[in-house]
Amino acid sequence: MSESSGPESRPGLHVEEIVEAEQVVGERAPEEVALGEKERAGARGRRALTTAAWTAPGAVWLLFFLFAPVLMIVLVSFWTRTVSGFEAVWTLQNYEFLFDSNIYWDQLWNSFWHSLVIVVLALVLGFPVAYFLAISVTSLRYQIALFIIALAPFWTSYLIRAVAWIPMMGRQGALNTALQEVGLIGQPLDILLFSDFAVTVAMLQLYILFMIAPIFFMLAQIDRSSLEAARDLGANAFKTFREVVLPQSMPGIVIGSIFVFILTMGEFATVRIIGGGTVSSVGTIVQTQVASVQFPQAAASAVFLVLAMVLGVFVLLRFSNLREDL
Amino acid sequence: MPDEQTLTQREGASTAPSQAASGTGLELKSLTKRFGEDVAAVDDINLHIAHGEYVVLLGPSGCGKTTTLRMIGGHEEPTNGDIVLDGESLLGLSPDRRPTTTVFQHFALFPHRTVRENVEFGPKMRGISKAERREKAITALDMVGLSALADRKPSALSGGQQQRVALARVLVMEPKALLLDEPLGDLDRLLRLRMRVELRALQRQLGLMFIHVTHDQEEALSVGDRIVVMHEGRIEQVADPFTISNLPENVQVAAFMGDNNIFEGTVTAHEGERVSIDGGEAELRVLAPESDAAVGQPAAVSVRASAVQVGEQAAGANGPNQLLGEIEVVEYLGDLVKLHLSAGGRRLVAKVPGDRYPQFRGKEGSSVRLSWKEEDVRVLRA
Repeated sequence: MSESSGPESRPGLHVEEIVEAEQVVGERAPEEVALGEKERAGARGRRALTTAAWTAPGAVWLLFFLFAPVLMIVLVSFWTRTVSGFEAVWTLQNYEFLFDSNIYWDQLWNSFWHSLVIVVLALVLGFPVAYFLAISVTSLRYQIALFIIALAPFWTSYLIRAVAWIPMMGRQGALNTALQEVGLIGQPLDILLFSDFAVTVAMLQLYILFMIAPIFFMLAQIDRSSLEAARDLGANAFKTFREVVLPQSMPGIVIGSIFVFILTMGEFATVRIIGGGTVSSVGTIVQTQVASVQFPQAAASAVFLVLAMVLGVFVLLRFSNLREDL
Repeated sequence: MPDEQTLTQREGASTAPSQAASGTGLELKSLTKRFGEDVAAVDDINLHIAHGEYVVLLGPSGCGKTTTLRMIGGHEEPTNGDIVLDGESLLGLSPDRRPTTTVFQHFALFPHRTVRENVEFGPKMRGISKAERREKAITALDMVGLSALADRKPSALSGGQQQRVALARVLVMEPKALLLDEPLGDLDRLLRLRMRVELRALQRQLGLMFIHVTHDQEEALSVGDRIVVMHEGRIEQVADPFTISNLPENVQVAAFMGDNNIFEGTVTAHEGERVSIDGGEAELRVLAPESDAAVGQPAAVSVRASAVQVGEQAAGANGPNQLLGEIEVVEYLGDLVKLHLSAGGRRLVAKVPGDRYPQFRGKEGSSVRLSWKEEDVRVLRA
């Protein structure tokens, strides 16, 4: 390619010269270039130490607050229950009980589907909000202001928000009263509270921000002129979305989906408050077992809950190569 | 040849654009864009651009050049006026339905696609088969010398290479008009100098209409067949680079192009074809056969920095077209020496050949005689 590339011999542009002009200056860090072999090895060693120092706090944190507890739960699930707790005597009894229980597997399956539905709903409802905030609003000031407003629910505690659903959605709650006043319904709707539907809507409301935020951050990084370029190159609005916006927001969608999936899958508080005892989930099963001091049994139940979550995350991660796309 | 075409069209295009309306090429008619009530970003622009012509929209930031380009590309809706390409109005057509494509200032490549996928994007949107669009993409990448990097992501390319991808991506569309919005703005100086030559060569080779927006005078002079100087939403002058550089029509153009000494004063005499102007420190006499300036009227003239002759031993008498100046700064630029001078509080610039540098080195503070020929004085429109 470079032999016959005199300025006259080949039309068009000449990349070799440019490559030369822009040659990336060496592959080593600048401070290494001037050093001898020995010093260079020393510099590499120091850098490795620096890297280790930076990663240490995070590693310690994860070790104590994630790996150790999970390991503990797995251990306890193989231990024997006593009246006041458990003792370190190996047994498969907890798992035998679990595999004999149809209720547990039904609930696990239910919670799994339930979470998936909430993830899909959160995505469908949350994406337009994120898109509006990140792309449609062009003024950075309004963007920040609106995003803070969107975060407003986080200014109060999670429990307050969950409990607030009762006066809103109860038989004599605000929504039922309003609908009756307007004359849309004759009788109060029971489905608004203490039902599967109510739990779904409440969780959606509680967790949708975990979907909106990561998508917002991904969309906000998109160069708006690349959207104009797509239009310029013949893509209509829909194709621009499908070919340019969607692929670039994929990491946000995946991360948001993982958040919502994990958080809803293990949920028990919302289920208790909004479901009012009529609705249960794996989370409530585990919680009931803990409350009745059946720690090994609760641990065994939790192990499969965690496995189901890992499976879900694994499937979700198929949709985006986070390491490359982020 | 594009050159002949340009020269013949220049006069007609700049003065009476409506005559070319039925013909081919791009026609801007009374094009206006207002943001809000009062602010006219682009104010009643008329311009005709022929196929195969390289036109540069030049002006300071905020002069409306980019808005004009965006209206041509369909990224901005005009408030008033029309954009006609080959006899058909482009108004109301979204960018994807216009036969124009844009090279954006920051390249606007798709970061999630490889170089080849970026180039294939346009043909793909047009529904061209996979095999065919691959072939087109490779051809376009060959044209910009980047086929070896086809499978890289844009983030793995240098600025110059990204610029080439952006070019290949629009060339593959075979547009009727290529719009370039500050295409070299993101590159460093050496690369910019090289790329502008290549842009020029590419345009010649393709015979395509290029409309190039820049604020860089030298870049405009380097690439353009014709330069449109804009100021505050209006066209100040449309002419070939030589005319823009040597014969600025008005104060705005003379000032923006730089290195022009502008004298504003009053007409003191108008005898036959010769006009005399009192420019404060200097009396300027100029041959202006078409001038109707009456005695006592304000007038502005300009003298190019390179037309100013600098001599220590110039004629003693204080005649017209000469004055005494003091050297403030001597700026050596290799091929030439730029002298920054002051004469009675007025700042002047003179350019002399670089080999005269030893004569001026360290001569800050000393007096020199400045003079220029009558024919180098240019009367400016107000």
